[in-house]
Amino acid sequence: MDPQEYQQIEQKITPPTPYFKNALKAFLVGGIICTIGQAITYLYIIFFDFTDKTAGNATVATMVFIAMVLTGLGLYRKLGAFAGAGSAVPVTGFGNAVVSAAIEGRTEGWVLGVGSNMFKLAGSVILFGVGSAFFIALIKLILVSMGVVEW
Amino acid sequence: MKKLVALFFVPLFLIGCSNEQTIEISGVSTDEVKKVEIEDMIRNSKEVYSGTAIMVNNELLVAIQVKPWLGFKEQKVEKKLQKEIEEKYPDLDVLVSSDYKMHWETQKLLEEGDSTKVTEEVKKLKSLAKEET
Repeated sequence: MDPQEYQQIEQKITPPTPYFKNALKAFLVGGIICTIGQAITYLYIIFFDFTDKTAGNATVATMVFIAMVLTGLGLYRKLGAFAGAGSAVPVTGFGNAVVSAAIEGRTEGWVLGVGSNMFKLAGSVILFGVGSAFFIALIKLILVSMGVVEW
Repeated sequence: MKKLVALFFVPLFLIGCSNEQTIEISGVSTDEVKKVEIEDMIRNSKEVYSGTAIMVNNELLVAIQVKPWLGFKEQKVEKKLQKEIEEKYPDLDVLVSSDYKMHWETQKLLEEGDSTKVTEEVKKLKSLAKEET
């Protein structure tokens, strides 16, 4: 059997990927996560002294915390298996990436295990997040000093 | 079952269609003419679906809620209204805000009768609006 033949057979046997179903699942679960986030925002606005502008930070912190607890309990993995990108793209996916990497490195000790593994995945998010934020701020600064937009 | 679900969603879609503006103004120690004029000003900005104005002494707090689909214009509407009111009443200390917090708190202040409490609350809200962090 040559490689081409093998590939043909392999493609025949492999069940088709349910793209539409996966996208729908991701859409629904991602939407539910965002709805929960919106609810938490309103909670902070109504019961505490937060405004639309300031409630965002507190909401993100809360969502990440919830995701971290769920990851520690092993529940976020189940959600991730079901929803895929729907659970990874919202900010909760960040919390999951940090904690799951830390749990993975636990057996190698605190410093070389947990410490060095913790930001294995999330490190690139932080790096490119900070990097792109810097460049966008720079562009805005230039536009403001040229008088095109206001702060 | 499908029909039941559809029936459940119908009112949700219809609610979005209502075109009415709800504008409420409450003021302690203010004349009626000003009230009517400010109400007209808020009513004239078409993007606003809900406006609440609280007047105490020479402080005016206007909380507006911009229609959901026009959310990206929120700040422009806010600034426009603020400028309009400031030009008409230079002696008033005006703050126009599209923040949900302002909307929520001013709705509560509408029923508040104690004027000192209202004054304090308005001051607190104005300082909250300035907070950046």
